[in-house]
Amino acid sequence: MTKLLEVTNITAGYGDGPAILDGAHLTVEPGKVHCIIGPNGAGKSTLLKAICGMLSIRKGDVVFKGERLNGLRPDQILRKGICFVPQERALFPKMTVRENLRMGGFILDDKKELERRIDGILERFPILRERAEQHAGTMSGGQQQTLAMARTLIIKPDIVMLDEPSLGLAPKIVQEMFDIMKMMSAEGVTVLLVEQNALMGLKNADWGVVLDLGRTLFEGPAATVLADPRIQELYLGGKKAA
Amino acid sequence: MAEILQILILGLALGGVIALMGSGLSLVFGVMRIVNLAHPSLIIGGAYITYLAFKALGVDPIVMLPVAAVIMAAIGVVLYRLVFQREAKSAKYSEMTVLLTFALAMMVEGLLGGLFTNTQRVTSPDYATAAFFIGDVFIPKGQFYAGVVSLTIIAALSLFLKYSRLGYAIRATTQNREAAELLGVNVQFISILAFAIGIGLAGAAGSLVSFVFSFFPAKHWEWIAMLMSVVVLGGMGSILGTVVGALFLSVVAAFVGTWIGATWSTLTFFLALFIILLVRPQGLFGEKPELA
Ligand SMILES: Nc1ncnc2c1ncn2[C@@H]1O[C@H](COP(=O)(O)OP(=O)(O)OP(=O)(O)O)[C@@H](O)[C@H]1O
Ligand SMILES: [Mg+2]
Repeated sequence: MTKLLEVTNITAGYGDGPAILDGAHLTVEPGKVHCIIGPNGAGKSTLLKAICGMLSIRKGDVVFKGERLNGLRPDQILRKGICFVPQERALFPKMTVRENLRMGGFILDDKKELERRIDGILERFPILRERAEQHAGTMSGGQQQTLAMARTLIIKPDIVMLDEPSLGLAPKIVQEMFDIMKMMSAEGVTVLLVEQNALMGLKNADWGVVLDLGRTLFEGPAATVLADPRIQELYLGGKKAA
Repeated sequence: MAEILQILILGLALGGVIALMGSGLSLVFGVMRIVNLAHPSLIIGGAYITYLAFKALGVDPIVMLPVAAVIMAAIGVVLYRLVFQREAKSAKYSEMTVLLTFALAMMVEGLLGGLFTNTQRVTSPDYATAAFFIGDVFIPKGQFYAGVVSLTIIAALSLFLKYSRLGYAIRATTQNREAAELLGVNVQFISILAFAIGIGLAGAAGSLVSFVFSFFPAKHWEWIAMLMSVVVLGGMGSILGTVVGALFLSVVAAFVGTWIGATWSTLTFFLALFIILLVRPQGLFGEKPELA
């Protein structure tokens, strides 16, 4: 399998602060759903932020399609085709759904093409079409998360990174979010997500990455991670209820 | 009836000017979370630029408005780079900017005092003292023009924010800086731009203020309190809120001034500020504090 994104043993932290990540690695294959699991404070969000250029990488490499991304700004990485949806509050609450989608295509220069793509997205997501002129902040959590995910598709990215898309959503809605992710990956958009609920995340993913204390403990096919007795004991046992 | 209409129109005209005075304050707070206590002192800066052009060259204050706006916007860029850029990364950013802008206000006041002394000034174009009548209602031209120009500028600003690409970027940065950056907005540039526009609006307001009110360097202390009331009532960061807040409070103040006594009309603003902070701190159109 060719690798789309490869993170090798990176060290990163906030500002001049201590290293939060130290020895994190991960491989991303095209068109699959990848799930990062790990306890609170493991550095999962930090890892996504380091990949998308919000944090500077002190050691190690992030290589995307054979090109090093270290040191690039978030907008440059976005233009390469990697889109990041941060944990909670990824939207502009006082902009309408349509305006949020327009912001999703901020880096596109062709305005006609942007409007065409927005119409395409609204066609595909009827919940969003019905609410096209509603302020994003007044929608339900599931609708907001749907918008946040749909918005990434405007620029036709290669990789969409989602930080805890299930946060605060009812189980039934969470499944809908995973269905959207599967749809995205079926269309060739590679998904890299962070999930608190390890069981749920791994069941819906192709590839699993276990992160703890800023290090990658294990990565492999999601089924293998799920079946691994150490992982079961450490992360899956107590997490089912969560 | 005519009296009520009279007071209403005067209140609305002044309210329009106050809205313009507050809009830059609100914009700068929205995008940068800077409570710019120096904003009114910069309005006075704009008023002096207009005053000088009027005295020396006889330039009409309304004609001078775009020039004062551009000069003040340029000063805004310099101030941003000198004063705020370094602080932007600090964790104590918000607390620091309150102190910084307070110090800046005193600096500007001192500078203007040195240059122009503390004498009251006013520009006196013909229309400043002229008036017209609609039926029995007496309308002073100066205030009327100033109100109309102010509301026109605010309408243009709103259209810019609503429809232009840079307007989208400014609104996005106001609402969610991190998400804006992640979608490719250069938030650093947008901050400078918004600050320049905000201070430019102060300059524009200064031109109008120069013939609506008399002014002197220390006058800004009176205005900051009034503008804070307006901006807090409207909801910090909301331009629409600022306009509604300004029109509403200045109409109320006009009625209080006429019916209760002129000395009580300023209290309207401060009482409103006090009550809003207690009852609805996010104002009419502001975000709830936890979302700010
Ligand atoms: N902005 C920040 N500045 C400094 N330290 C931070 C910042 N954000 C997170 N950290 C620290 O980095 C470490 C990892 O945090 P991170 O948010 O990456 O964890 P996480 O695995 O995403 O946890 P959670 O499951 O709670 O979201 C924590 O110790 C946290 O205190
Ligand atoms: Mg996290």
